[in-house]
Amino acid sequence: MVDFARVQKELVECHKDAEGSGIRVAPKSDNLVNLIGTIPGPTGTPYEGGVFQIQINLPEGYPFEPPKMQFSTKVWHPNISSQSGAICLDILKDQWSPALTLKTALLSVQALLSAPQPDDPQDAVVAQQYLKDYQTFVNTARYWTESFAKTSSRGVEDKVQKLVEMGFPESQVRSILEAVGGDENLALERLL
Amino acid sequence: MENNEFKDEQQEIYESFICCVCLDLLYKPIVLACGHVSCFWCVHKSMNDSSESHCPTCRHTYYHFPTICQLLHFLLRKTYPAAYKRRENQTLEEEEEEDCFSPQFICDRPENSPTSTTINQTSNSCSTESLESMEQSRSANHNGDEGIISVEGKKLPQNEHNQQPKILVADLTCPMCKQMLIHPVGLNCGHVYCETCITDLPHEVLICQVCQSPHPGGFPKVCLALDQFLEEQFPEEYTLRRDAIQPSQIKVQPETTSSCSLSKDNGEIIALGSNPELLVHEGAGCDFCGMYPIIGDRYKCVDCKEIIGFDLCGDCYKNRAKRPGRFNQKHTPDHKLELVLADDTDFSDLELVQDEDDTDSSDLIVIQYDTDSSTDEE
Repeated sequence: MVDFARVQKELVECHKDAEGSGIRVAPKSDNLVNLIGTIPGPTGTPYEGGVFQIQINLPEGYPFEPPKMQFSTKVWHPNISSQSGAICLDILKDQWSPALTLKTALLSVQALLSAPQPDDPQDAVVAQQYLKDYQTFVNTARYWTESFAKTSSRGVEDKVQKLVEMGFPESQVRSILEAVGGDENLALERLL
Repeated sequence: MENNEFKDEQQEIYESFICCVCLDLLYKPIVLACGHVSCFWCVHKSMNDSSESHCPTCRHTYYHFPTICQLLHFLLRKTYPAAYKRRENQTLEEEEEEDCFSPQFICDRPENSPTSTTINQTSNSCSTESLESMEQSRSANHNGDEGIISVEGKKLPQNEHNQQPKILVADLTCPMCKQMLIHPVGLNCGHVYCETCITDLPHEVLICQVCQSPHPGGFPKVCLALDQFLEEQFPEEYTLRRDAIQPSQIKVQPETTSSCSLSKDNGEIIALGSNPELLVHEGAGCDFCGMYPIIGDRYKCVDCKEIIGFDLCGDCYKNRAKRPGRFNQKHTPDHKLELVLADDTDFSDLELVQDEDDTDSSDLIVIQYDTDSSTDEE
C-alpha cells in the first residue's frame, strides 16, 4: 500500500520550494499513484531553456520501492531512451533509499541531464553519437529541446511549414533545422 | 477528522525528530548504529529480507534490526503528547490491518511503575533489568520526583495549550555515569549511553551494561538528533558536560567494518553471504539479537500463533536468550523451539543433513519442511 500521507507531505514540501528549485510535482488524476513531475533543463547544457515532463508512477511498496519514472517529453540523452523516455539511473533502481523523495529523485534526474554517463547507456545510438561525434550530439540534443521541451515547441512545426511553403523539400528542411538547433534564419541561409 | 487532530498539534516538531522515511514525527524510534533514527516500522520495512540492509539516510550497512529506543520513545511522548498520540492511533490502525504488532508499552511513564514495560514481560530478565536501571537513574537524580509531577501535569487542561510539558535531565540520563547524556550512542538493544562511557568497557565485544546484550556490528556512532536536542534543551548542562570530557577520554574508535555477529571460534568474522554453506532464512529475523535475515541455524517457535512467528538465530538459541518477540508475540519460555532445516529447496536440504550432525542439542526436535520429509523417507 502506497504511503499516501507521505506523498501528500512530499507534494506540499515540493510546492513550497518550487520557485527555487524549479522542480514541480503534480497529481495526474484524483489518485496520488500517477503524478507528473517537471524539471527545467540545466543551464549550460543543450537542455537549457527546456521544461521536461516526467511521468511518475508509484508502486505499491512506495517509499520502500523506487517510484517509476520516465520522460514523457522527448529528450536526446545517452541515459534516456529517445523512444520510450525510460531513464537509466541507479537511484531509481537498486540504489533507491526510502529517505529519497520524488523531489530529490527529480533533482537527480536533472543532474543526469548535466552529466551524461555514455558508458552506461540507455540509448545506445545516442551514446555512440555522444562518444564519437560530440558536436552533432549537442546539436541534436539542442534541437530536440527546442522542438519538444519548449512551450513554443509547436513553433517548430510552423517553421517547417513556412520553409516548405517557400519551396524546400520537407525532409531537407527538417534535417537542416535540426542541424542548426531550430534557428529559422540560419536554416534558411543554409537552404539557399 | 485528521485535520482536527492536526489542529491540536500546535507545537512545531523539532526537525531532527521527523522520520526521514514517513516524514512524520518519529514513532517508537530506533537508533541505528550509524546514529540515524527512524520509526520501528520504517526501519523494519526498509530492511532487506534476503541480505544486508542499509541505513536509509547514509547507506551504512547493518545486519540487525535494533530494539526500540525507550528513552527516545518516552521523551517524544512527553514532548509532543498530541502528535505522538495521533501517531500511535495511526500506527495501531495499520498494525491491526496487517495483524502484526510492534512492541506495546503499557504505561506512558517508565518512572512511575514497574509495570511500565512490554506487555509480555513473562520471565523477561532484560526488560526488568532495564526498568531497574531506569529507577536507579531516577533515584540517582534528585529531579526524579519532579519528573513524575511534570509528566502527570501535562494531562491537566491548562497545560495543553501554552505550556509544554517540561523535559528534565532525569529523562535523559546515561545508565553508566547517571548524568545527562552527552554525545549519546544507541546500542542494538535500544539502550543509550554517553559515547565516552562505553569506549573503555573491557570486553572486546560491546556489551550493554543494562541488559547484558552484546552489541553486534562495530562501535555505534553518535545519535546527532538526540545530541542536538540535548544541546538546545539544556545548554548549560551540555556545556558543562562537554567541557568535563577530558580529551584523553575520547578514544578514537577504529573504523570497524559493520559485520554480522556470526563469528567462528577463532574470532574470524563472517561477512554476510561470504559463506555459501550458511543458509539464509529469507524474511525471518531473530527475535533476540535482531539479525535479519537469519543466517545459519534458525530456531522457530512451534507454539507462537502470530503470523510473523518467533525465531532465534543459532547463537541466541545456544545462549538461551529469553525475551518476548520483537513484534509483541506472546512467546513464553515453555514454548518449544525447533531447528528449521531448510527452505523448500532440495539443495539446502543436503547441507542441512550435515548441520544436523554438528548440532549436539539433545532437546532438539528436528523438523523437516515440505519436500524434505519425502526425500528423507526414500
